[in-house]
Amino acid sequence: MNSNRILNIALAVYVGAIFLFVFAPILFSVVFSFNSQRFPTIPLGSFSTEWYVKILNDPDIWQAALNSLIVSSSTAVIATILGFCTAYSDFRYNFRFKGPYLALILLPPTIPLIIMALAMLAWLSKLGMSGQLWSIVLAHSVLTAPFAMAIIRLRLNQMDPELESASWNLGGSEWSTMRYVIIPFCKPAIISGLCLAAAVSFDEFAVSWFVSGLNKTLPVIILEIVQGNIDPQVNAIGTFVFLISMTLVILAQIFFVYRQMKSTPT
Amino acid sequence: MTKPLVVLENVQKLFDDFIAVKAIDLEIYEGEFLAIMGPSGCGKTTTLRMLAGLEEPTMGEIRMNDQVMNKVKPHERDTPLVWQSLALFPFLTVIENVEFGLKMRGINKLERKRRALEWLARLDILDFSDRDISTLSGGQKQRVALARSLVLEPKILLLDEPLSALDAHLVIRMQAVLVQLQRELGITFVYVTHSQSEAFAMADRVVIMGNGEIAQVGSPKDIYRSPQNQFVAEFVGRNNILSGTVSNLRKSGALIKTISGTFSVDLKTDSLTKGQEASFVISADLVHLSRSNPEAENSVHCKLISEEFIGSMVTLFLEDISNHEFKVQMQERELSKFDLNPGSDIWLSWSSKSAHLLTVN
Amino acid sequence: MPTKKIREIDIYAMTWRLPIIIWQLLFFVGPVVFMIAMSFFLIKNYRMTEAFEFVNWSKMFSKSYFWDSYFYTVTIASISTILAMGLAFPASFALAFKASEKMRRWAIFLLIIPFFTSYLVRTFSWFVILSENGVVNALLGYIGLGPYTMLNTNFGTLVGYMTLTLPLVVILQTITMANIDKTLIEAARNLGCKPLSTIWRVIIPLSKTGLIVAAIFCFILSFGDFVAPFYLGGSQEPTLPILILDTTKSGQQWPRAAVVAIVMMVTLFAVAFTGIALAYRKKVSR
Repeated sequence: MNSNRILNIALAVYVGAIFLFVFAPILFSVVFSFNSQRFPTIPLGSFSTEWYVKILNDPDIWQAALNSLIVSSSTAVIATILGFCTAYSDFRYNFRFKGPYLALILLPPTIPLIIMALAMLAWLSKLGMSGQLWSIVLAHSVLTAPFAMAIIRLRLNQMDPELESASWNLGGSEWSTMRYVIIPFCKPAIISGLCLAAAVSFDEFAVSWFVSGLNKTLPVIILEIVQGNIDPQVNAIGTFVFLISMTLVILAQIFFVYRQMKSTPT
Repeated sequence: MTKPLVVLENVQKLFDDFIAVKAIDLEIYEGEFLAIMGPSGCGKTTTLRMLAGLEEPTMGEIRMNDQVMNKVKPHERDTPLVWQSLALFPFLTVIENVEFGLKMRGINKLERKRRALEWLARLDILDFSDRDISTLSGGQKQRVALARSLVLEPKILLLDEPLSALDAHLVIRMQAVLVQLQRELGITFVYVTHSQSEAFAMADRVVIMGNGEIAQVGSPKDIYRSPQNQFVAEFVGRNNILSGTVSNLRKSGALIKTISGTFSVDLKTDSLTKGQEASFVISADLVHLSRSNPEAENSVHCKLISEEFIGSMVTLFLEDISNHEFKVQMQERELSKFDLNPGSDIWLSWSSKSAHLLTVN
Repeated sequence: MPTKKIREIDIYAMTWRLPIIIWQLLFFVGPVVFMIAMSFFLIKNYRMTEAFEFVNWSKMFSKSYFWDSYFYTVTIASISTILAMGLAFPASFALAFKASEKMRRWAIFLLIIPFFTSYLVRTFSWFVILSENGVVNALLGYIGLGPYTMLNTNFGTLVGYMTLTLPLVVILQTITMANIDKTLIEAARNLGCKPLSTIWRVIIPLSKTGLIVAAIFCFILSFGDFVAPFYLGGSQEPTLPILILDTTKSGQQWPRAAVVAIVMMVTLFAVAFTGIALAYRKKVSR
């Protein structure tokens, strides 16, 4: 075996190790959610679904799950609308202060969540809008809009720049063109944006924790459990949470890549 | 003289820092195939876009049927355009693309479908009506683009270099299709292209544009045989351009003294004065070759520099003593009668009737 | 694109342009500006009152625990960045140059998933895995090693930071390196450059911008995270984010927390600014 082949094998093993490190905690959570023992370690106990039974019977957790669902779907819709408007404005128009305009939507992810959490808490409290589910929605929409915007903007890049003009030329007004040309073209990106925004919102804990008050979302429940003793329920909740957000992210990627490739002319 | 369908009067288009179109006047008539031709950057596409309403003239008026169109929005006009990139909607099928304009006009579903199918059949792509655009070939997409515009039954169809993306053999075929369509429908085609052969093959009238201005308007033959200025002479066909001063005026023409010699040019009007600067043009295919001095009125002694073969035609590039370039165009079989190599001596001659005076700029 | 001289208000354009401006002003600019203002507020009788005093600032800056925390945070975030960039590099290198396009796409597809899924639950998993009677120590016990204390140490904190940043860093590094002009590498080899040297002399300089961006993101994420140092590091030494957490949740001293937050933002801005200047600096020709 020459040195090149050894190197390639070593690199492959290394990549595997990185992936193992990244996915280990997820796998861990899933595996041990079915473990009968209270404390997750090896040797494994017996297969058991008691933790799932426990969480499915807990009304607080159901309420939190429902809250998470409401928050993430509302966030997804608002974020995608905002993202679409901004992406289209960037695509179609050139205007003064376009730089600051784009910075306005793209800055939030660069600010640490804990700082956003504090700022949101203070501001929404001042406006008397804190402690509600929709307080979280307002905050999350700011955090997730950049993702939706980036996805849709990339999609618009793939559009023949004359497509809009072609529609006008055939008698479509600007509004009709938006309805019959731009939006249909962006459909995969819109769905992708919705999924991704929902995923990010679903998992977000810092801002939710600060702002939600008594209306807790699932990540907040997890935070509270984790602050107490080791409770294997977290693994069960965690597995659910992983399943849902992983599905959303996978869907987002599928729509972003595959569907777009299908409907883009070569 | 029939009344024009479209009139452009003193139309100018200024972009941020450069003037794309510099005050042009043009009349477009019903039922004609008009080509606008010129090198890239000459303003031809801008002019077409102004007709479609995609750009607004900075100055001047565009009138259709006596109505001033400057402020009319693109979707309120009836000037469908066949785009260079075709701009077909990728998320619609072939028939949905063709129906699009009809849908925008509020025509009901059944009627739309009927008309679309009619045009798809007419353009020979009926079999593709439910196909995805991405599965079509270049030529088929071309036809969809045409159908999409023509189904609206406009009085005027705009075309922006629609054949530029096609393979050479398809181009010839599509040219025939376009010409036939135009004759059958009797509508006006305004066709923008940078290709001389396309414009000359298809159009009734050709507009030559350069640097944002109209250099000449006329039938293909007129432009080819009688270029009016240096720009057109250099851009169209293969021409020899000679410049000098008028040394003598006669009944039938003038003698013009150039660095290559003094030559006689037949004049149709007596608009020249002695000592005036003048340029004239001899088309390369009107120049005769001879091995020995033909003792003719207009002749030049040259050396052969190079030859260029395109099919059965050959263009010879020659230089005289004063290093002025001459071009001669002839059939290859005629050339083979001479035994010429680079560096060979040869005499060129032409009749004073073949020389054509250029407008003094 | 048509150029329209807009003299009348273009309702169509404004419909699309305005929403984000209004929304962000209300729910992004507003909160941040208010937070900055809040750092000058006072707490009187357990209530926050609006004022313009510097007492929060002077109090914070005089406390040694603040500066200890500041330097600790900068240090641990820097270590995290260097560690993440270093650990990611061989993997990114392999994905960019040794893997096929298809494998690379799959790798990125897979790595995006954990990046967007519950950081909190993953941290909790590590907490359990790394604890005294957790999986790692149990495994080590089989071969006669340990048990090691991994939690409540800097090691724990760094494991947490890696969990947070590695996926993103690998993705960014891979995309950057996969997009450089490969013919330049071939040219270097052709001129006699040894394989290992090409990494240092060709690949890294060509990837400079992307790598710096990856490092900046990594630093921002590590610097601003409270979960890793709190749960896995045991907040032995509190980082600035933990300071904010404590000051807000338990202390109800929002103005003080705001001071910490502003210091953090200024630091991050300075780091990002320097980084981007470095990334886009053009070589001065002599």
